[in-house]
Amino acid sequence: MTTSLSAQNIVKRYGGVVALSDGNLDVYSGEVLALIGANGSGKSTLTKVINGVVVLDGGQLLLDGKPINFDSPHAAKKMGIATVFQELSLVPKMTVAENIWLAREPLRSGLFIDSKEIKVRTKNLLKLFEGTYRISMSMDDPISSLPPDELQIVEILKAVSIDPNILILDEATASLDNRQVHRLFELVRQWKAEGKAIIFVSHRMEEIMNIADRYTVLRNGKTVDSGDMKDVDEKALVSRMVGKETVYSLSREDRPKEEEPKPARLTVESLQTGVIKGVDLTVHEGELLGLGGLKGQGQRDLLLALFGDIPYEGKIVINDKEVDFSHPNQAIKESIALVPGDRSREGLLSIRSILENLMLPSWTNYGFPLNMRRSIEDGDRVASSLNLVMRSLSDPVNSLSGGNAQKVIIGKWLLKKPKILLLDDPTKGVDVGTKAEFYRLLQQLRSEGTSILFHSSDDEELLGLCDRILVMFEGKIRATLVGASITKANLVAASMGASEGNIA
Amino acid sequence: MKLSHLSLRHPYLLSAIIFFVVLVVNFYLQESILEGNTINNNMRVFLPLVLLTAGQAVVILTGGIDISVGSIVSIVSALLATRVGLEGTVNQTLTWFGIVLLVGILAGSINGFFVSYLRLQPIITTYATSFFFGGLALFILPQPGGGIPAKVANVYRTNYPLGLHWAFYVIPLLVLSWVAIRQTRYGRYLFAVGGRAQAAYETAVPVNQIIFSTYVVSGFMAALTGICITLLTGSGNPQIGDPMTLQAITAVVIGGTALSGGVGGIAGPILGALTLGIIKNIVSFANIDYWWQTFVNYMIILIALAAPGFIALFRRNRS
Repeated sequence: MTTSLSAQNIVKRYGGVVALSDGNLDVYSGEVLALIGANGSGKSTLTKVINGVVVLDGGQLLLDGKPINFDSPHAAKKMGIATVFQELSLVPKMTVAENIWLAREPLRSGLFIDSKEIKVRTKNLLKLFEGTYRISMSMDDPISSLPPDELQIVEILKAVSIDPNILILDEATASLDNRQVHRLFELVRQWKAEGKAIIFVSHRMEEIMNIADRYTVLRNGKTVDSGDMKDVDEKALVSRMVGKETVYSLSREDRPKEEEPKPARLTVESLQTGVIKGVDLTVHEGELLGLGGLKGQGQRDLLLALFGDIPYEGKIVINDKEVDFSHPNQAIKESIALVPGDRSREGLLSIRSILENLMLPSWTNYGFPLNMRRSIEDGDRVASSLNLVMRSLSDPVNSLSGGNAQKVIIGKWLLKKPKILLLDDPTKGVDVGTKAEFYRLLQQLRSEGTSILFHSSDDEELLGLCDRILVMFEGKIRATLVGASITKANLVAASMGASEGNIA
Repeated sequence: MKLSHLSLRHPYLLSAIIFFVVLVVNFYLQESILEGNTINNNMRVFLPLVLLTAGQAVVILTGGIDISVGSIVSIVSALLATRVGLEGTVNQTLTWFGIVLLVGILAGSINGFFVSYLRLQPIITTYATSFFFGGLALFILPQPGGGIPAKVANVYRTNYPLGLHWAFYVIPLLVLSWVAIRQTRYGRYLFAVGGRAQAAYETAVPVNQIIFSTYVVSGFMAALTGICITLLTGSGNPQIGDPMTLQAITAVVIGGTALSGGVGGIAGPILGALTLGIIKNIVSFANIDYWWQTFVNYMIILIALAAPGFIALFRRNRS
């Protein structure tokens, strides 16, 4: 079986905004095409056109050389195009099995759902990822009770269950750990051999280099380059993605050399929550402390506990004073700020204006009635210091690209001048250019004496930026990397639970 | 944690407990409640709200709400009282039963069209159409009067097969059909649309058609309720459905079906409707002054609604 899909000169507008002005790609049976581009380059829009979620405004899709039109995801699916959605397409209150077979349930006598058959088929599907999820995970669990990596696996299995000819993986690895990514890639190679065409969208360059056969680069809504992966290297791809913008390289030289230890600002002793099983740590003044490890090892819980967002046991000392948080308000009073992991849900009021989002924690400083003129001045100042790309402060925050939206979240805390900044994977889904600006900002905050606790799922980031790295594994700190021990090998080893204690 | 897990798996558990509690209280005040005759008498009064609640539950399950059902009940009552009349024949009555069911389906289709295809807010849309339908009812029958032949009404009121009121056949039939529907794709789609409409859409569930269909079901059930209540009273009243809308919504919530959609079913709401009926019994048998009755009635409802919240609060504070 051979198939091919071609998108030619695709145009898509949302209201007055042109998301895609000239999108082109070709993908054939038995290959993996990497669709790459910075945030806001039109990748998501192009995939949504191909899988029928949005209707194109111009251009043409060809399947096996024949023009096709669809007006719904249903139509695309019928033609064998399946998608692993970045914002998962799962119904939280339904079970794993119900979600996978939704709208394609096998039927008995053409009417009643054959739950036995569903069980058998789901079991077979789950075998594909066997051993990479919790043993206790069951196909009868409600989706809302699963951790992010298992959700992602279910989403992948759901797409694969229709046995598609063309499979779109949109950031399908973002929530997976190394083992799961490894398994996914084995499966992708197998599907490729079976003749499927695969479109792979990812921010992780390493994965693209690893799995893709060809690439297509989008920039500002246009396809700017396509070619064979064997003709390019990482650097060449990145430069095509960012165009003229310079790429910030992570270099160790930027990091201050071994200095005298500064006074401790935040000390945590035997902190416990449902997920965390006894964590001790100290963050010093002007220190950038990294928090690494595989996904879901308790990093998020640690940050939320320190922000008073979830109940905890243990001792938290800030500036030699013991504190007991039961509400984020108390943490904010102690000059702590949290940039949460789920931007759209926890970090932003997505339909409200950029200004309102920036001012949300600070309104109390603007009197009664609110001094709007001063707030706009302050908002403008923060926006320009962060290089926020926007039309106006009064635009809704959901009109911004992912990277710019993240800047707003950081900006809203910068207005409060926090002494302790907690970051939960802030560069997830952020484009290269914005990442570079963000790294510079972190360096600057550190030199001003801010203590930063920085969780990232991007190992390179931690290795390049942090003074020290704590590696979490199953709710505990598995290793502390300092100075010369900050190497990728150590970080990966500790993430997998391979090494014990301090590596110094 | 355990409790919330349990309530997700068994959404009817809490409604069953509440039902049992009010039943015990009622028994304490009125010992005859468990005698055959009283049960039959009670059930024939409760049945209309049960039917209305079942229809409302389907709408709420998909995340919508139908405020217009009471007015559809009123239209049906007005139509039957004027078109059939106290002197009508059995055949006439049956013909008009059929016609009013079609009227209910039509009214539901109007709601469904606005909500699903024009994407208007369900609460506003059905609030608006409730005035339209309510106005029609008053236009057809400006004041209470008229009715249906006593011969027909008595079939509902006194002549039951095997000594059990029709409710004892209708309610199990409703529940059984629901169990069957849950085993079909349509049943799954209801839960998927209520759980997360966008995900359902991306999974090729026909979201608009599903939403549309729930309002048709609700309109049909409202018409059935109208027939039922006209059989019960034997007479026409163009405003008889007005207080029933909120009662049905309350019954759905007491029955463990979340207003946000995606959880529940119709068995719980049916229990909820019976609970509301029993609460009314309690209030009338507790020798409460007339002007306190509404107050006490709604206090009990409020407590029943708040019970899960209080339990959760209590557990939070303990841990």
